[in-house]
Amino acid sequence: MEFSEHIKTANVEDVVLRQPLHPPSRGTLCITGHHLLFSDREEGSSRQVLLLLRNIDAIEKRMSGSSGTITIKCKDLRVLQLDIPGMEQCLNIAHSIETLSCLDCVSEMYPFFYRPADLSLQDQWGLSTPEKHYSQMKELCERWRLSSVNRDYSVCPSYPSAVIVPNSIDDSTLKKVAKFRQGGRFPVLCYYHKKNGMVIMRSSQPLMGANRKRCKEDELLLQAVIDGSDKGYIIDTRSSQQAQQARMTGGGFESKSCYSHWKRLHRQMDRGKALQESLIKLVEACGDESNNMDRWLSKLENSKWLSHVQTALSTAGLLAECVERDGHSVLVHGSEGTDSSLLISTLAQLIMDPCCRTLDGFLALLEREWLQAGHPFQQRCARSAYSHARLQQESPVFLLLLDCVWQLWRQFPLALGFSEALLIRLATEVYASDYGTFLCNSDQERCAMGIKDKTHCLFQALLRPGERDFYSNPLYEPTELAIWPSVHPQSLQLWRGFFLRWTQQARHLEEAQEEIRNMLIEWGKLALS
Amino acid sequence: MELLADVSLLPGEERIIDKDIIYMCHFNGAVKGKVLITNYRLYFKSSDADVTVMLDVPLGAISRVEKMGGASSRGENSYGLDITCKDMRNLKFALKQEGHSRRDIFDLLFRHAFPLSHGLPLFAYVTQEKYAENGWNIYKPVEEFRRQGLPNNKWRITFINKSYDLCDTYPTVLAVPFKSKEEDLRRVAAFRSKGRIPVLSWIHRENQAVIVRCSQPLVGMSGKRNRDDERYLDLIREANDTTKLTIYDARPSVNAVANKATGGGYEGDEYQNAELIFLDIQNIHVMRESLKKLKDIVYPNVEESHWLSSLESTHWLEHVKLVLSGAIQVADKVSSGNSVVVHCSDGWDRTAQLTSLAMLMLDSHYRTLRGFQVSMSKKRLSNCFSFFSIGHGDKNHADQDRSPIFVQFIDCVWQMTKQFPTAFEFNEHLLLTILDHLYSCRFGTFLYNCESARDQHEVRSKTVSLWSLVNSKMDIYLNPFYTPESGRVLYPVASMRHLELWVTYYIRWNPRIRQQQQSPVEQRYKELLALRDEYLKKLEQLQLSDSSTSSRLANSPTPNTSSNTSPSQQYTHLHTPF
Repeated sequence: MEFSEHIKTANVEDVVLRQPLHPPSRGTLCITGHHLLFSDREEGSSRQVLLLLRNIDAIEKRMSGSSGTITIKCKDLRVLQLDIPGMEQCLNIAHSIETLSCLDCVSEMYPFFYRPADLSLQDQWGLSTPEKHYSQMKELCERWRLSSVNRDYSVCPSYPSAVIVPNSIDDSTLKKVAKFRQGGRFPVLCYYHKKNGMVIMRSSQPLMGANRKRCKEDELLLQAVIDGSDKGYIIDTRSSQQAQQARMTGGGFESKSCYSHWKRLHRQMDRGKALQESLIKLVEACGDESNNMDRWLSKLENSKWLSHVQTALSTAGLLAECVERDGHSVLVHGSEGTDSSLLISTLAQLIMDPCCRTLDGFLALLEREWLQAGHPFQQRCARSAYSHARLQQESPVFLLLLDCVWQLWRQFPLALGFSEALLIRLATEVYASDYGTFLCNSDQERCAMGIKDKTHCLFQALLRPGERDFYSNPLYEPTELAIWPSVHPQSLQLWRGFFLRWTQQARHLEEAQEEIRNMLIEWGKLALS
Repeated sequence: MELLADVSLLPGEERIIDKDIIYMCHFNGAVKGKVLITNYRLYFKSSDADVTVMLDVPLGAISRVEKMGGASSRGENSYGLDITCKDMRNLKFALKQEGHSRRDIFDLLFRHAFPLSHGLPLFAYVTQEKYAENGWNIYKPVEEFRRQGLPNNKWRITFINKSYDLCDTYPTVLAVPFKSKEEDLRRVAAFRSKGRIPVLSWIHRENQAVIVRCSQPLVGMSGKRNRDDERYLDLIREANDTTKLTIYDARPSVNAVANKATGGGYEGDEYQNAELIFLDIQNIHVMRESLKKLKDIVYPNVEESHWLSSLESTHWLEHVKLVLSGAIQVADKVSSGNSVVVHCSDGWDRTAQLTSLAMLMLDSHYRTLRGFQVSMSKKRLSNCFSFFSIGHGDKNHADQDRSPIFVQFIDCVWQMTKQFPTAFEFNEHLLLTILDHLYSCRFGTFLYNCESARDQHEVRSKTVSLWSLVNSKMDIYLNPFYTPESGRVLYPVASMRHLELWVTYYIRWNPRIRQQQQSPVEQRYKELLALRDEYLKKLEQLQLSDSSTSSRLANSPTPNTSSNTSPSQQYTHLHTPF
């Protein structure tokens, strides 16, 4: 398929662009296979706006007489408006945007065409691999091994090719366990707490079903996890009622009788559609620009977004408490084990492990816990809050994670080595990107598409010298201590930097942060000289 | 007694009584310990080893002391004292029921918490604190006018009120239009509520637009006119040659209309060349009710399940928003070259809030630590805020005029510091300190309503100013992120989306809420600053030794080898307050 099929009008002169924080400007609009390009024609200015079509979540067109207006609502929450002369041109542009912004074919997406001068496709892709990660953790080898049972992704399509499991469990056992867990996601190690040797495991739900099936190998594996300790915890991200109901559709939970050394804790976390709808309500409330007494706080509350933040942080806190304070190992799962399980295991690691709080460490954590662990980015982030399309698998779990990390960052402004700008950048990139990092749903798919050979890696790009400075926290002061967030509603704030980023006030704060950063950089130079 | 041994009393502070007592803490349950009452504070420390609970409450912050339970009340800890404070908390103490054990402590506490009702002096008159700097000198009216470029050919300084006979709530030094005569002023005073004539608060250096404040005109039901008042306002307009004078009436229009019934009102069409805009800010009764509701949802228990909608139902942030947006309108008008007149009913409270905030937005001088003190002294003390209504040393807790306006004003300032983290030289700690001492009665700064009352009570000579304390340890009140930008006008965003509840003030008594203070950031920043200074010093030393051996100088790889420029000169653009 050729992009040109969808482009009937490629250039329009005399278009007026209205965008937040800028006065309207007149210029030329260009549409290409991947971009919308607007160049300002006005005297003395050469401003250009380059918008990835993939970033467009919804468009609305309005015709009046011989001209039309297209309102473009982006996944990064920006709203642009184009006044286009000529009805036909306007309809053509609108049609091109509509079609090109939601092409599904991964190999035709922009990352496959993006070739910046300062990056080479030969560069290392990604920050680490499960193998490297394992070999760096010397403490692991005593009781844990790296298994390549999934080397061809046949045991679990959403897992990476190598995973860490107890030493005493062989690959044939793993295969049997995989059959007993939804999507083959058998329990694997995701975090080792050096202070006391306890671990966080994650998996999907056991396929116990209505007739209470058991799996000896599964029980054996979990027993091997707590070997030598009196008990472990299972944090199930569903309510116990939901877990019971899951049995009707073949799922279930670890029953007390079969897993006597494990104590189950249920924490209900909303997921999927509920999260997406919450985001839609929140964005709608944020976008309502009428400055009257508009019951903003009620709307904010009704969106429930902050209560999702609260639940996520407090469940992560519970998980960290089990490991750090109680000194027990924990298995985390919900049903599929690709969303809320990753959310809370990531947050718990940030709470406990100082290594995850550096810029490099945080990106590596995301790579491990989200990309390699098989969060289906393509499905979850296909559309965002403005889209009129019927919801399918969309769910802003990753955005929720970033929001939770921002809350941590706000409560512990010195403890994290990265800046708010990083979180905002990630929140944008995950929906539309020049880089291949967030394409596809799993490691397997990424291999099949040749992502690692044909696209550039966002994480590598973020760590280039110039970018690294920008995304580092100038006030960072490493601490070995766990950072326990407060989850009272009074302690949680709307992430204005992201949700209200296209308003004037965010600008002030950005300026101020920029100022602070510049001062520190100057001093850094001074200190070196 | 050793439990209380570590209490460091202020000079002039005296122990009144100490006693074993149980503090009925809302957060930790009943805590045994000892209470000490002095002529300045109530101090409590727990005696249990495992829970350290400490209370240090200035008696001035107490608004009400009541007995709880009687000698025959049943139940554990049901007999004691119930204390309501002005700073958003309540304290309960339990005592033994035998032998009227609370009688003495109740009587003494009652006497000293409300000294004026018992013929005792306020603590501000008793304290013997000495500071290097006299904070009373921070504000000299004539000097402040001179800083703004006054008098000039349009505005003059008048001492018509030197014996407070024009207006007993105005200061002695006033700035009025150059063309107005003293007898005009008297005739205008007769037409303005409480004689508070329109006087200049601030003048824009470049465009000469002014902020003028006053009280409402005495229009009344019959729609009285006063040609002198009309002419006087027109003189204000003429002073910088604009076509229209904007009058901001802080009240909602219905209230302004209702005020006619009691002789007040607003400027009508007879004021040619003037437009009147209502800013819809509610009166202090509404504000008080709102603050009370806010207290109800944060103390002692913080509303958890429907926090945001409960917060909304207090309307506190909504009021903050209206005040801020009113001030923004004023600032915007003035910076675009139009003079404005601001009033409400009596011309204090809301008027003071609006003009002070507008000045803070317009004039970067007021955003410095000392400039802020000036603006506070100027607006609040000499003429505007009804401080007495805070009820210093007065036992009448039902006093309907107790005003939450000052708290609201400081809240607005805090919102601005949040939105412009580098624009203010002072930090949140200063704002908290100001609010604490608003009630404490330790300093004369917030005592009495107006200059005449303050003169009468010899506040300046007999009490210490809060600014003496602040300026004696400035460090802790400085915002390390401050970068001065002299010409910049700040326009905060007064939308509900961008306002936050000031958790560190309103919920500070709750130990379960993490104190989200900026202080770790400030702390870290200050450390980095200290480090930088150290490097600078080292660099300077190295350069000194370098320049003595000129051969090495030529080889030196450092970029700063020009020995005649000191590094601190080179880096002057990196402003720091140190």
